[in-house]
Amino acid sequence: MLKVVGGFIAGACFFGVLVYNFMGSMMFREVQSPFGVEETVARIQQNIQNTGNGWALSGLRNPGKAVEADGGNTLPVLLIEACSTKYSGPILKDDSVRFLSNLMPCKISVYKKNDGKTYIGMMNAGFMGGMFGSMVGETMSHVAADQAKFIQFDPSKPAPAMIKGTPGAGASGGSGAGAAGGC
Amino acid sequence: MSSRFRMTLPVLTTGMVLTTLTAFAMPAKQDAAIAPQAVQQTASTSKSKDASTADHSKFKELQKNFKTGPEVTQACLICHTEAAKQVQHTKHWTWESVDPKTGQKRGKKNIINNYCTSPISNEKDCMACHAGYGWKDSSFDFSVEKNVDCLVCHDTTGTYRKLPGDAGRPVYKRVEFPKGSGKFVEPADLKKVAQSIGRPSRSNCGSCHFFGAGANGAKHGDLDSSLQHPGKYLDVHMDEKGLNFTCVTCHATSSHQISGSRYNVAAAVSGPAHIRGKTDESPASCQSCHGDKPHHGFMAILNQHTEKVACQTCHIPEYARDDIGTELSWDWSQATTMGPDGNPISRKDSAGRRAFDSKKGAWVWDSYVIPEYRWFNGVSTYKVIGDKIDPSKTVQINEVGGSPNDPGSRIWPTKVHRGKQPYDKVNSILTVQHTAGEDETALWHNYDWQKAIGAGMKAAGLKYSGEYGFVNTEMTWPITHMVAPEEDALSCAQCHSKNGRLKGIEGVYMPSRDSNRLLDMAGWTLVLLSLIGIMIHGGLRIYTSKKKGQNK
Repeated sequence: MLKVVGGFIAGACFFGVLVYNFMGSMMFREVQSPFGVEETVARIQQNIQNTGNGWALSGLRNPGKAVEADGGNTLPVLLIEACSTKYSGPILKDDSVRFLSNLMPCKISVYKKNDGKTYIGMMNAGFMGGMFGSMVGETMSHVAADQAKFIQFDPSKPAPAMIKGTPGAGASGGSGAGAAGGC
Repeated sequence: MSSRFRMTLPVLTTGMVLTTLTAFAMPAKQDAAIAPQAVQQTASTSKSKDASTADHSKFKELQKNFKTGPEVTQACLICHTEAAKQVQHTKHWTWESVDPKTGQKRGKKNIINNYCTSPISNEKDCMACHAGYGWKDSSFDFSVEKNVDCLVCHDTTGTYRKLPGDAGRPVYKRVEFPKGSGKFVEPADLKKVAQSIGRPSRSNCGSCHFFGAGANGAKHGDLDSSLQHPGKYLDVHMDEKGLNFTCVTCHATSSHQISGSRYNVAAAVSGPAHIRGKTDESPASCQSCHGDKPHHGFMAILNQHTEKVACQTCHIPEYARDDIGTELSWDWSQATTMGPDGNPISRKDSAGRRAFDSKKGAWVWDSYVIPEYRWFNGVSTYKVIGDKIDPSKTVQINEVGGSPNDPGSRIWPTKVHRGKQPYDKVNSILTVQHTAGEDETALWHNYDWQKAIGAGMKAAGLKYSGEYGFVNTEMTWPITHMVAPEEDALSCAQCHSKNGRLKGIEGVYMPSRDSNRLLDMAGWTLVLLSLIGIMIHGGLRIYTSKKKGQNK
């Protein structure tokens, strides 16, 4: 009996350690981009606008600017914000999951690392959505499918211009960000 | 007695260690004490305009309505009698530099770079950045003093502009620039400018050095217009709200000779900081103010690096640290490629920087660029006009000197600009091409390489076989501006790791990057033996204690 309980506890501990170690990479994804930071951003923005399903850009933030204003340096990092009312609407209408609004709008970060290469970071919407019931799970599975389209690039097409600022809200990353994006 | 000894021994040992460390730390503190004083004094000179003893608006000689630049210069020379002669001995006037070690003549007049290539036959455009008036071709008389342009360096109004196409003359009439853009440049009020002169500001130097190769930030990588009003993050010395250094704070000048140049880089200065009254051979170096032991306290261990690593390597972790960015490559072979309708086209990249132009070819830009590191002793040997090349290899526009065995070398951060540019296939030399202008042979007018190279080579006095091709080239630039705050310097692990910043640097042992198989094996064997010893010892203790228990 003692052996069974001990084995169960050891198994649970092993599983806990496993989950603890891999949780981060399960919740978020990181992929390398073949382009520079600005071109990656521009191509993702273009993809978002072409994806349909109500997707619209709601802003482009540069969190590094605040660090610079404080006298420090960061390697470039840009946050693309996009939203689709088709997906955000049902979640925002349901009191039990409305707290998930703090994950809106959907963000994709593009950044350079010390190896000089550009990377794309995003939430694993499919995995995360599954934690909050069937309605959120299904909605987020659609978001995940669209997210995959956002980062599909066609190098044969010329680089589009990066859309700076917030469509319909004036300044980059302003407090009004999101109005035009539908969230 | 025994317990007393046990307490006294560690105390004594700790005391000895601390005393030794303090003794080592003391000299560093003494060196460092000089540095802030020098820095403060130099910083205060940047405000010298307010402290000037002369109000030039009160000078009779400057109360005229000047019509031309040379008229202003003549007025300046009434008081500053030797100024023009001094300028005429500088690179800013001759566009020539002589290597003091090899005697090789370099400078824009003698080399073909992999940006705009050469000013020869393009003087009317290029001389917008000459500190003079009227250099339009090889007939320019370098001895005429009134042709020295005082204002381009000393204007404080920000209204004095020289545009490409007028051989270094300032804007005298309202002109549309660039042509067809709908933007206009107003002529400067020369009287007002002459009365408002002062020490060169960042904008004065930057009007050329920020815009080299025809675009903001294109050439150097560590110089662009963001340095006109820099924040602390961009350059800790130039920080507008902090030390507010201008260029000439470091590039201290004597008789108009500006110290510090990429042609003669002070790559490995040693010794303490500069002391007033003592001649400083390299005022435009970090050591000039900071000495070669700038770290103190528990960071003093970093001073061991200064014999092998340039300050810039750690303290400029990336260059072009702004949205402007810098040009990484220029492909001339794509020039003359027209749009679908046969007309010239231009295209910008995602960040709005030039990416393609039928006149000039294609460019690649980036910002926050990780430098390429190499040994450097301050001396570069340049390919000069007419030098033979091997087109089967990438041609080095400048061969960077230095090696790990040379005590005058340090590991430096550099920008390497890659180019693809025309060369004479038969004579194996880089070609000079006539690009700028409105005449029939100008590349940017007729899009004909053959005519452009023919005219350029003729102007340069070189033979041209009539056959041209394109060759890959590299040009290396030491990085020395855009010094980050100390908190943003490279961390140890960024170099001391297998795939760190200095992974390609040879000739120096770096812990964590380098390893010796035998030494590692011996170390791990010791660890393993220690573990086995501990296990045996522990096992025996357990065994004997159990046995004792059984006996009881």
